Amino acid sequence: MEIVVCVRPVPEAETRLRVAPNGQTLDADGVKFVLAGYDESAVEQALLLKEAVAGSTVHVVACGPAPRTEEVLRASLALGCDRATWVEAPAEFAADSIRAAGAIAAVVRSPLPDLLLCGKQGGDDESGLFSGALGEHLGLPDLNYVTDLRWDAGTSRFRFQRATEAGAERWEAPAPLVVGLQQAWNDPRTAKLPNILKSRKATVAKVHADPSVPPGAGQPEKFELPAPRTGAKLIEYKTPEEAAQKLVRILREEAKVLP
Amino acid sequence: MTVLVVAERTGGRLAAASLDAIAVGISLAGTTAAVVGFAAGPGARESASDLGQYGLARVLVADDPSLEGAPPCAGAASVAAAADRVGADTILIGGTTYGRDLVARLAVKWKASAANGVTEVTPADGALRIRRPVFGGRATETRTLAGPRRVLSVRPHAFPPPPSAPASPTVEPLARPEDPAPLLGPKRTGVEATAAGLGPSLGDASIVVSGGRGVRTAENFHLVEELAAALGAAVGASRAVTDAGWRPGSFQVGQTGRSVSPQLYIAVGISGAIQHLVGMVSSRVIVAINSDASAPIFRVADYGIVGDLFQIVPALTAEIRRVRSA
Ligand SMILES: Cc1cc2nc3c(=O)[nH]c(=O)nc-3n(C[C@H](O)[C@H](O)[C@H](O)COP(=O)(O)OP(=O)(O)OC[C@H]3O[C@@H](n4cnc5c(N)ncnc54)[C@H](O)[C@@H]3O)c2cc1C
Ligand SMILES: Nc1ncnc2c1ncn2[C@@H]1O[C@H](COP(=O)(O)O)[C@@H](O)[C@H]1O
Repeated sequence: MEIVVCVRPVPEAETRLRVAPNGQTLDADGVKFVLAGYDESAVEQALLLKEAVAGSTVHVVACGPAPRTEEVLRASLALGCDRATWVEAPAEFAADSIRAAGAIAAVVRSPLPDLLLCGKQGGDDESGLFSGALGEHLGLPDLNYVTDLRWDAGTSRFRFQRATEAGAERWEAPAPLVVGLQQAWNDPRTAKLPNILKSRKATVAKVHADPSVPPGAGQPEKFELPAPRTGAKLIEYKTPEEAAQKLVRILREEAKVLP
Repeated sequence: MTVLVVAERTGGRLAAASLDAIAVGISLAGTTAAVVGFAAGPGARESASDLGQYGLARVLVADDPSLEGAPPCAGAASVAAAADRVGADTILIGGTTYGRDLVARLAVKWKASAANGVTEVTPADGALRIRRPVFGGRATETRTLAGPRRVLSVRPHAFPPPPSAPASPTVEPLARPEDPAPLLGPKRTGVEATAAGLGPSLGDASIVVSGGRGVRTAENFHLVEELAAALGAAVGASRAVTDAGWRPGSFQVGQTGRSVSPQLYIAVGISGAIQHLVGMVSSRVIVAINSDASAPIFRVADYGIVGDLFQIVPALTAEIRRVRSA
């Protein structure tokens, strides 16, 4: 099975967010970029399928600027992906997930892989636009919010679940298919040191993103951080009943979140 | 401005998220006449009268039986055809898993600029300016969507519901515009309603009550569930709870679970680790119940009760029941 995994470099979860001097975007200065959390699950899912289906290869693809994009590709190689393609593009281009999907579609179109995996949403913009845009660009169905993806060799179908408002849905689908992973509830592996060292020397194929791919996610205008919350108003009470009465009164009359 | 609102049905009626989309549509287009409803799939016709309750006078339906159990992407061509039929420049969809997926497909198919989960929409010199939370609610971005067309999903609960204004809409059938054969390959074979089948699901609920390790055992978790039931709320949990197997992974709120943004979030016996906070800080009002006054959850909460949850939670459940029955 030929598997493509798309990964996006995003700021580490612990990053203290700052606004860029132009006020329009995140200040990326000094920020460490890593694989998005959902993408770690996507890479793990690809590697699990590769282990389950003999003769599979995993091709990891990312669209973005130096050096962060190359870094997450090498990190994916260290985890066990077989080859990597860097679709080089400026940060503003790659931040637009519809545009990034268009640029990546051009690179993976022929021959079409059996499965294209991505995260359900990026760990930064959370646009949730990539899997649908990639599917539409390639004329393939896409299913997002997927968990527990398996290949059933008997019926030549993928079997998986989706976490939706209705509950856990069960699905089956033939290849080729685009899948956005909710969270595979898998436990992403960590890379072993010798593999990390090897990945530093591995080849990362580099192509330039086609600049004629049109944008889709609009122009950033402002990036704001919330005023720091001042801390909870603590309810004073002598008995649990008094605490309950005071809280319910506040929620009804002051916060107006209860009828 | 002409707006097409996509109606989604859940449990035999219009999804709450679709009402959010109608409300935004009416606020943008000014009159309900410029807001046209669209429903697809089995049961689409019933949606027409539901849409009529909010004053929509015109509804297109594609009651195509092949869309039953089909993936969201299979309906995109019908939505685009409906938008073209009515001359819409803007498509609005509720921000559910279905709606968000459809937005992405339509962005490419209908050549529109797109955004998911918007919490504000304002016209700006022929373009639309949208705001939406990013980084799990730790920041907010404003973007302009220029160009002649845009497609948006609206973040659940971010807008007040549309006023009721009953009308009897004209219903126009819409034929399937193209053969979506490859898109009909995936098939839904079953649905297991979440254990919260008793109440609303996490993503939908306007109130969420979550329990953490402070609850101590799987058996004690019923305290959290009874408070949720009294409030008509969905039940969530921290990862400490799902890791311990007290409740399944589908209950988890946070970085590796679900992101929620209800009107009211009550955290019971949860310390407030950053990985939990990113899944709930964008809730409108946050209440924390924790015995440790220095727990970080109190820094993001609006209201706090420092105390023993085994005493506070039953008292709170009783008080809610009392005011509800009064
Ligand atoms: C990569 C990664 C991803 C993660 N993803 C998530 C995620 O998605 N969601 C998530 O929740 N966590 C996640 N975590 C785990 C997170 O770091 C915390 O460990 C977890 O949230 C702690 O859960 P807790 O608050 O229930 O438990 P604790 O931190 O142990 O807190 C329990 C709280 O209960 C209080 N308490 C105890 N007894 C009582 C009582 N009788 N009455 C009142 N209060 C009481 C205590 O004071 C304490 O504050 C993740 C961690 C990592 C490393
Ligand atoms: N620039 C990019 N390069 C590669 N993959 C991407 C890129 N942007 C988004 N993705 C993928 O799409 C997923 C969802 O991102 P988004 O649609 O932006 O929320 C991510 O988890 C990645 O798997």
